[in-house]
Amino acid sequence: MSSLKDIEVIQARSPWRDAWLKLGKNRLAMFGLGFFATMVVLCYASPLFYPHSPTSQTLSLGATPPLSMGIELRYDAESEVADEVITVKEFADVYASNPEEEALRIRNGEVIDVDGLIFSKSSQIHILGTDGHGRDLLARIFQGGRISLGVGFIATFVSLLIGVFYGAVSGYLGGNTDAIMMRLVDVLYALPFLIFVILLMVVFEGSDHQLLLIFLAIGAVEWLTMARIVRGQVANLKNQDFVEAARATGVQTFSIILRHLAPNILGPVIVYSTLLVPAVMLLESTLSFLGLGVQPPNASWGTLIKEGAEKMMVYPWLLFVPATFFSFTLFAMNFLGDGLRDALDVKSSKD
Amino acid sequence: MLRFILIRLGQAIPILLAIYTITFFMVLAAPGGPFTQERKVAPHILEQQMEYYGFNDPLPIQFFRTLWQHITFEFPPLTSYPGLTSKDIIVDTFPVSLELGLLAMIVALAIGLPVGILAAAKKNSILDYAPMSLAMVGICLPTFVIGPLLSLVFGVWLGWLNISGWFSFADRILPACTLGLFYAAYIARLTRGGMLETLNMDYIRSARAKGAPEFKVVIVHALRGGIMPVVSFFGPALAGLISGSFVVETIFQVPGLGRHFIQAALSRDHSLILSTVLFYAALIIVANMIVDIVQILLNPKLRYR
Repeated sequence: MSSLKDIEVIQARSPWRDAWLKLGKNRLAMFGLGFFATMVVLCYASPLFYPHSPTSQTLSLGATPPLSMGIELRYDAESEVADEVITVKEFADVYASNPEEEALRIRNGEVIDVDGLIFSKSSQIHILGTDGHGRDLLARIFQGGRISLGVGFIATFVSLLIGVFYGAVSGYLGGNTDAIMMRLVDVLYALPFLIFVILLMVVFEGSDHQLLLIFLAIGAVEWLTMARIVRGQVANLKNQDFVEAARATGVQTFSIILRHLAPNILGPVIVYSTLLVPAVMLLESTLSFLGLGVQPPNASWGTLIKEGAEKMMVYPWLLFVPATFFSFTLFAMNFLGDGLRDALDVKSSKD
Repeated sequence: MLRFILIRLGQAIPILLAIYTITFFMVLAAPGGPFTQERKVAPHILEQQMEYYGFNDPLPIQFFRTLWQHITFEFPPLTSYPGLTSKDIIVDTFPVSLELGLLAMIVALAIGLPVGILAAAKKNSILDYAPMSLAMVGICLPTFVIGPLLSLVFGVWLGWLNISGWFSFADRILPACTLGLFYAAYIARLTRGGMLETLNMDYIRSARAKGAPEFKVVIVHALRGGIMPVVSFFGPALAGLISGSFVVETIFQVPGLGRHFIQAALSRDHSLILSTVLFYAALIIVANMIVDIVQILLNPKLRYR
């Protein structure tokens, strides 16, 4: 006979815990999450540990390829700081008598003296090379990432606020109000929004609030799908028995929305927001690529790709490097979103 | 059906009016005018220009005059292209954009449909995983990355194609592929999803049970239902093709309408901005309507709603 004591107590798993475990099994999604988190930390924390500044220019080291070495030139053996930093190519062309051998010796850390000029290896190495103005490319990518990711987050948040509020109201009220509100969304869907965004960016070109405007413009464009999703969920939920029961026992409307409806629409909202971030980043980069988005001296991944595309024939890495960062981040976000969709078991809204 | 078309066309009128109004005031709010130049223009010349183009008239008159011009298709001369009207510009350059868009759509369908169908038919095999992973890559590589990459590889390194221009047929290949590859990836994913859903239906089982060959089951029985998501994607896709063409026309120096639109906005050419915005809006509305009609034709369930 087993007594009550022998019965193993099993802790019930919440649906969220279930979803998290399911997500953990999806390797691509976890890779996406890891990559994205790393990217965010690197971009925002890089000023703390990365030695190069995105704005400091070393004109003599303009457009050096990745992993290239700078050579410090002192006019005088006693001087503490380098008088100039030059590229290996310049050293070979102008100063060296036996370029290959001497460059190798410098690379190995030797200090050599050519006709009274002192050459030594520069401690500054540009891992991903420099851009046309001699700015460290990786530092520029971190700087661009701060803006690209920032736009992605904030614009997504703006559209989240508008979309959830609009959708929840429309779905909860139902009836004619719902019909009119959703018809308006249908109509707005038919508008050529990118054209308006382009127009808006041109109209306010060069104003101080350009970045703020990008957030608002993109956020205002992307809320429609969110509103539709939330409205569908709310309209579906509000007639279910547990909501009915809550209403019958006299729970206030506000509490019903907060305690009974909100947790149930959270899943789709999370999934869609995750997929919205890369979509927003893409839109921002498109604008920046067309020269209408982020303006110098600020940079976003879109402007870096634009600069790279202009110079790709001579300096291909200026295109490859930012394009790789950008694509991988989009890739990671999309995988994460797909994984979340499977984990939270959200009926797919798009495909 | 006729009633449906008439209702939709009726709905289009207030939409276009709203777009016209928003655009009109947005352009008006822009700093700088069509005659703002680096070099100062003498005041009497500026005054003459303002008078000639009608910018001195009261606002309501300007508003309704321009509106009337768009209703009657009688356009005023442009400030950025004296002697030409927006109609001339659109008639001249839109065919180029249209050709680019159609070629891109052909590329997208020619790659996306077969890949998606094959992936669904051979679900969970290498023929499913490999192309679908590639499709994900395709979606994450935006046009402004693919475009420069393609022109670098095929134009500069291999030297097979011109990197810009719009003269021979060969010049169309790179822009069309750039624009089409993204949609190919998207269409492949949509086709796979739609086909998988349809292939699980009872009538497919019935078709198999009565002995229809697998090829016929997939292509004849399942495709008609499985292609629905692709059809409904066409509306948004057209809007995307238009915006994508802005980028592609910039990269490959294609003389299409997209570049003119951006140029018009930059040079504050009121008339050209309004005409192009309205033109694009009308285009998208008509395309959405056609998509709806095709959906009704393909899916009898929608017919009696």
